[in-house]
Amino acid sequence: MSSFSNPHYMYLFDMKNGKKKLAYGQSPEDALEILSYRLTEEEMAQIIPDKYIKVNQRQLQAYVSELG
Amino acid sequence: MFKNLFNPKVKPEGKEPRRLWLDLGDLGDLVNPAGPHEQWQDHGMGLLRTILHQNGVMTDMFSTRQCTSWEEVEKRMKGYDMLIMNVRSYTFPVAYRSAQIFKKVNPKGIVLTGGMHATVALDEMLAVSEFDKICQGPGENVIVNLVTNPDAFPRVILGVGAKSMADWPMVDRTLWPEPASKKLAARFNWPLEPECGWGPPPVATILTSRVCPWQCAFCNENSYIPNMGRRPVDTVIEELNYLDETFGPIGSVVIHDSMFFQNPSWLEEWVDKYPKYANKTWPYWAAARADTVRQWPDLFEAVVRKTNWSTVSIGFESGSDRVLKILNKECTEEDNYFAIDLLTRIGDEMEAKGQKPPVFWSNIMLGIPGETREDAFKTMRMLKYTKRIMPSISFYAPYPGSVLGHQIIAEGKSLMSKENYHRYPDDEKVKGIDYQFYRDLLSGKYDDEVNRGLASIRQQRVDFWDALAKA
Repeated sequence: MSSFSNPHYMYLFDMKNGKKKLAYGQSPEDALEILSYRLTEEEMAQIIPDKYIKVNQRQLQAYVSELG
Repeated sequence: MFKNLFNPKVKPEGKEPRRLWLDLGDLGDLVNPAGPHEQWQDHGMGLLRTILHQNGVMTDMFSTRQCTSWEEVEKRMKGYDMLIMNVRSYTFPVAYRSAQIFKKVNPKGIVLTGGMHATVALDEMLAVSEFDKICQGPGENVIVNLVTNPDAFPRVILGVGAKSMADWPMVDRTLWPEPASKKLAARFNWPLEPECGWGPPPVATILTSRVCPWQCAFCNENSYIPNMGRRPVDTVIEELNYLDETFGPIGSVVIHDSMFFQNPSWLEEWVDKYPKYANKTWPYWAAARADTVRQWPDLFEAVVRKTNWSTVSIGFESGSDRVLKILNKECTEEDNYFAIDLLTRIGDEMEAKGQKPPVFWSNIMLGIPGETREDAFKTMRMLKYTKRIMPSISFYAPYPGSVLGHQIIAEGKSLMSKENYHRYPDDEKVKGIDYQFYRDLLSGKYDDEVNRGLASIRQQRVDFWDALAKA
């Protein structure tokens, strides 16, 4: 019963190229692991794991142009 | 009471402008439709035209779905001062072309747009110079002022919605487009809607709630539309009875809510009142989530058994936890199998009593970035495991506006463009996905892998190609 017992949150991670990467999970660590399911090692290496902000999904539109 | 909410500040003087509301969809879908879902009517358009007409602001209307060529669309557009369109992502290409034609034949005319695509992909809407006004978000509390006095508004307008669906008027369904061929009209049941395989005709589609509050990465409607109060149970039943008596008899109901099975107190009232006060306990289609079924199993069983919830729509999406996480579905494989087993048990018991068992109608997604072959086998295995299911399978589509869509587009991996949003089931949508593998999977090439661990009765060949649908 994931959404009731283990709710997910949205995170915006800084990337080495100045862009941001959107991820989601129970925690920042979980979000990064989920991202790794679909990104290559090289793509993951672009993400700075300890530089992130937690965002409300209603605020996401403000960051769309920064995604990479 | 509702009328007072809409009081145009400026009354048009002199001759009323000629306003055209254009219903959008593929050419010919109301002449000789390719499938049943192309014939659904647009509740957003129905609601907004009802509000306009109740406030004395009249609009003509036709649908691109009623036309079989763009020349016909052009001919019918001539002589109007204003074009109004409710634009969704999958109708954006049609809206774009329609606006160009409208400006060509009515150079002084003004084009007003709104709808989900305006909300989730404003940049694409802004790039179309023919769109003079773009209304983002819900439009019910701004539409009258906007249509009667567009010059008072900037190009981009933030819409204003009602706080509760209880404030909405009942949609005047005669404002919806009619089928445009004798053959289709004979089985359409306008202004009710035709059969689509979920229940007997005529079908009454209705909304009881708006906006699913979950945040699946392929949808995210909750990011854009504020939550609003659910429609009172009494009002829903009153409308169904009115439709039954005025246009019916109704055969079945489709509750178009993104998420019907939420809000337990509302559902308990539904269980109590629908069988008691509706003219008939019509069978209906409505949506749930696997985890809400697991959270409230007794309530789910009561709704299925007592209210004739005959087609339970659950977007299982995938049979793999990895993929469910990529989609941010916030449901697990275990949740999916819990819901499947529960409805199967209920169905078996009903069947044993000679009653028609409920079935699942389920959205299933394949071709998701990050999905492995084993993930896809698990999804197909789940489908074959399910005893009573109508699957609607699609290849993942990275729509702008959704969290995953935004990210895939930003990574340069999307194959979708504004020219091909209205895609076909077999279209390739994301770079790097081995679509031939999925075609082979649906054709049965990997049935040995899919059948691994399944009971022999579930291993029979099922042709899933027919279930491949537009995403």
